[in-house]
This record gives sequence, structure tokens and C-alpha cells, in this order.
Amino acid sequence: MDPLTLALPTGRLFHDAVSLLRRLGVLDSSPLERSLVIPVLDGMQVVIAKPVDILTYVEHGTADCGIVGKDMLLEQERDVYELVDLGFGACRGVVALPADQVALRWRPGELLRIATKFPKVTSRFFARERRPVEIIELHGSVELAPRVGLADGIMDLVMTGRTLRENLLTEVAEVFRSTARLVVNRASLRTRAARLRPLLDQVEAAWRS
Amino acid sequence: MRVRRAQPARWQQVPDGMRDLLPAEAERRAALLGVLREEVRRWGYREVETPTLEFLETFLVGAGAGIQDRLFKIVDSRGELLVLRPEMTVPIARLAATRLLQTCRRPLRVAYVAPVFRGQDAGQGRLREFTQAGVELLGDSGADADAEVIALGLECLGRAGVRETLLHVGNLGFLHDVLAGLPDDERDELLVRLYRKEFTGLDGAVSDPAVAQVLRTLPDLHGPDAITRAAVVARTDEGRAALDRLAAIIERLADYGAPGRVTVDLSIIRDFSYYTGIVFEAYGAGAGYPLLGGGRYDGLLERFGLSCPATGFAIGVERVLAAAADAAERAVDFHIILMPQQRSEGLQLARQLRECGKVVVVSIADGAVEPVISDAGVQALSVIRGTGASAQAVTPDGGASARTVIRVDGRYLRVTDTATGRERILDRDELLVEIRGRPRAVAWTH
Repeated sequence: MDPLTLALPTGRLFHDAVSLLRRLGVLDSSPLERSLVIPVLDGMQVVIAKPVDILTYVEHGTADCGIVGKDMLLEQERDVYELVDLGFGACRGVVALPADQVALRWRPGELLRIATKFPKVTSRFFARERRPVEIIELHGSVELAPRVGLADGIMDLVMTGRTLRENLLTEVAEVFRSTARLVVNRASLRTRAARLRPLLDQVEAAWRS
Repeated sequence: MRVRRAQPARWQQVPDGMRDLLPAEAERRAALLGVLREEVRRWGYREVETPTLEFLETFLVGAGAGIQDRLFKIVDSRGELLVLRPEMTVPIARLAATRLLQTCRRPLRVAYVAPVFRGQDAGQGRLREFTQAGVELLGDSGADADAEVIALGLECLGRAGVRETLLHVGNLGFLHDVLAGLPDDERDELLVRLYRKEFTGLDGAVSDPAVAQVLRTLPDLHGPDAITRAAVVARTDEGRAALDRLAAIIERLADYGAPGRVTVDLSIIRDFSYYTGIVFEAYGAGAGYPLLGGGRYDGLLERFGLSCPATGFAIGVERVLAAAADAAERAVDFHIILMPQQRSEGLQLARQLRECGKVVVVSIADGAVEPVISDAGVQALSVIRGTGASAQAVTPDGGASARTVIRVDGRYLRVTDTATGRERILDRDELLVEIRGRPRAVAWTH
């Protein structure tokens, strides 16, 4: 029997996800973030991957379930079941412009160049707001782009807002709110229900408590 | 001086999500398509073909505006917007409504095998050109028609060599029941969420907490007691009728000899908007996605000008090939090599192994055994020859640790695990019991 595989993201959500699994007794110690595969009890294994890759593993069924931020679900629009809002890893996706540019540039009809790791979400947001936009996709340190003149502003995740303040950026619009979600492969939900269900119940119980 | 090219030329590659098939792959696919065509033909389904390109409008009418983002579009020299067909049900509905059903008697059974195209994001491991093989049963609104199509789908997957096939049947009528009475905009918003399989935050999206509660349990509404559990919450006649229809189909499928391979699953929501009632998806071992999907689309033909109930399924041929891949790699479980004087015993063992579901190839060695073993592609076998060595049964897989040597000793078989050197004495029946589900390398000498 193949082990039931759970995909955990490195980075922002890693520690909260690990402590959830430790509370559930799935993990008995904290794995190193750089480990790849951790066999655990009861024919289960945990794989650790970059947040942006979690949904790929789950959609293809190489992982039966995974923990991933809502931000990734919104950006990637994959064919997976999003079953539980785990509550942790809360953040918001916001559009921010340099503080001294807001009055001048955040006007209807003004074409903005926006740097972001979330091109699809950003494009949908601007389309909905009927604001013209030119999107520049970056993979990290998005806040650098307006400082060096690559973009007029950014669409990025904020938790405390410190990074925005440090880079003299001001939030002009909230695009989405995100927390960690438990996602399940569509075949696993059906063909491995008997093995997944106890885990899902435990997760939900832990989340409610 | 030659300039070194920084990047390989375009012509060295094919577009993302498109594939070349090498002979072995092409043969496997052709063999599968042959099996599928033969099976549907035996059930009276006759193959039709439609053009690869259709007008964009055909799909907008048939599948709704939501399909736009998934289409490959082409502008022809006259400025007409054409699309590469993304699936076959809409073209067949068009063909049936405009031509076939004008002349043919109902019910009409048609089949197709065709490449289809999706303009989906590259780089997600999804094919943008793939093959669908399927059937449509037009002009019969009864549960018997649903059952026939489902039974045929199961039969096709079985013939294709998919293991542990389980087909899940649901009915969208139940979902309509759950959402009945909600304001239209709330309903539409919920359908979008359910279509995306987003089951978090439902409390915020539904004004009626009882509805939110039912929707939250939807992913779990599958299994033998799903109808009973759903009946408790069904409120409308449409909902109760949907559950009755499901029960009737399950009952009929038992008559087709399909129990254990079908389960009720009210969480199924297919990704085309033309489905009106019964929907189903089949899964198999080793696949993280459905291998077959389909359902009833009683309103689709009317959009093309002729009202007619219909149901059908499509098989994802590449998905089936991938799911059956390890079965194919283990296509030969046993290769029995024997001397002419051992035919009787060797062929009898072969027949028994085949009855166990094993694939057995028999070679008669007229002379030395080693060249036959090597021709058969058998690797790393140490042939054990006792006195009067005349027959060996060996299997090409299983690895060194699983290799077992069997010597026939009177009416008993001396079974030796070559890894441990441990020998046991079994009779042939005991061996056959042991072999079930455990492919092993066997060498058999006399």
C-alpha cells in the first residue's frame, strides 16, 4: 500500500504547519526545513516542498493532501479540493505605491506598472476594478521594483506592514486575505477516503479547539 | 566564423503540452484504441467523426462563455473565429441535432475517438492536445440508458487494463435541491465556489446556515450509505427524484455485473456546464485524476435546435495509458521456457498461472535453453539445472531479492528463495495460491 502523502510548505507556513502536525501526533519532532521526505507512523509520509510547488504535487496526486496558503490557491487555480481553513499564516495581498506617488498615480484610468509574484490575481483584480495595468512578474523582493524604477507599485503579501513602511510604500487597495488551507487531491478524496478521513477529522478538531 | 547558437532552434522542440509518440508508445496507444473501439462496437455504438476545427460560436452556445479561457482559437483568412475542439460532446450534439437525428431512429448510439485541444496554462504537466474516446446515447432519458453508458465505461476501463477501477456516480439534482430557495446571486456565487472545489468559508457565503452545513459535508457524501444520508437533508421533489434515480441506476448496474466497481458520490461536479443530472467519474490505481468522466446533458441538443435527452462518457486515453503503465511494464509475469517433452506439464502450469490473472509467455526450446532465455529479454537469471534439466519458468521482473527457484520433484515443487537459500516443499496448488498478487521469479527444473 502506498503511504498516505502529505505535502508541507517551506517558508512562512512551515513552523505553524509542523506544530499542527505535532499536536496531531503525525510528527513526533520538528523536521529540518530542508529535508525532503520524512516517513512517519501509520503508513504516512510527509514531503516538504516550496510553497509554490505544493499544489502541483497535490493536483497530480503524488501528494494526497497538502498545506498551502490561500494566496497560492488564488494564483494557481488548480484542480484540488480546498477543505479546511487552518487559520494560521494570516496575511493580506495588497497593492502598494510609494507614499509620495499615491495622490498622483492612484487615479482611475492611470496606467500603472505593478511588480508582483501573483500576476494572475493582480490582473484579475485590476480588470475587476477597471484600472489599466501592466504586470511585471518577479519571484522575490518585490518591494525593490518601485525603488529602482522597474515598476510604479507592487502587489504583494503583507503581514505586519513593516516591509511596506521600511520601503516607504503605502497600501492603496486590498486584493485578498489569505490563511493556510488544507487541500486534497480529487482522486485521493474518493479512493483513499478511509485513510484520509481520520486525518481530516483530526485537523478540523484541532482547528476548532 | 560560425556564431554559436545560444538557444536550441524552435524546430528541435514541440509546443508545451504536445507530444511525439515513439513506436512503442504509438503501438500501445493504437492497441488501447483498438480495444476500446471493439468494445463500444459490440454494444452497438457506431463511430462518427467531426472536424477538428469548429466555429467559436458552437462552443459558446454548447458549453457557455466560461469555456472561452480554455480554448485554442484561430482566425482564418476570412477573419472567422475558429477553435480547436476542446471536447467532443458539443460537436456531437451539434451533429446530432442538425443532421443525425433528422434521419436516424432514436435512441441513437454514437462513438468517437478524437484528439482534443485545451489552451490551458503550459508548464503544469497538463497536455494541451490529448485523445478522448467516448460514446453518446441520444434520445433515451431513462435510468436504463444511464446504466448502459456507465456499464460500458467500466467495461472499457477493464479491457484497457486499469486496475482497481471505481466509478463514482452522483446527481446534480441533489445539489440543486440543496441550493433551492437561495437568492440567485448567492446561488451563482456558491456554484462558482463548488466548481472550484472550495469548501472553506462557506459560512460567510451562504445566508442559510443549514445549507452551509450540508455543503460542508458534500465532499464526504460518497459511499454505500450516501443516498440515505442525502435523503435526510433533501427538501424538494427534484432532490428526492435525483436520489431515486441514483438508486435505480445502482440497482441496474448490479444486473450488469458491476457491483463493487460503482459507488454513489454526491460530491461530483463536472467541469462542463451542460450536465443536467447524473454525473460520473471513474478512478483507477495510480492515477491522481479521473480516467473517465461523463453524465447526462438533456438540455444541450435543444441549444442546437432539437430537443433530445442524452448521456455519455469520455475516456482520457493518455491518462489511461499512464495509469496502466506499470501493468504494461510488467506485461509478462512469467516466461516459461521448456523442452518439447515437457509441453504437457509446462502448458498446464501456464494455463493455471493465466487463470490466476498472470500474463504468461511460453517458449519451446529446441536445444539449449540459454539463447531462448536471452531472446526473451530475461535478465540476471541464474538458471538452476538439476539432473535432466528440461524446463524453466522465469519471470523478468521482481528483482534479485524476489527470485525464487522451483524444482519439480515428483508431485511436489521444491521452492527455493535464492536470496535466503531457504527451501520449502509445496504442491502446485499451494504455489498458485502463493503466486497470486506476488509476482516472483521462478526457475523450474526437473
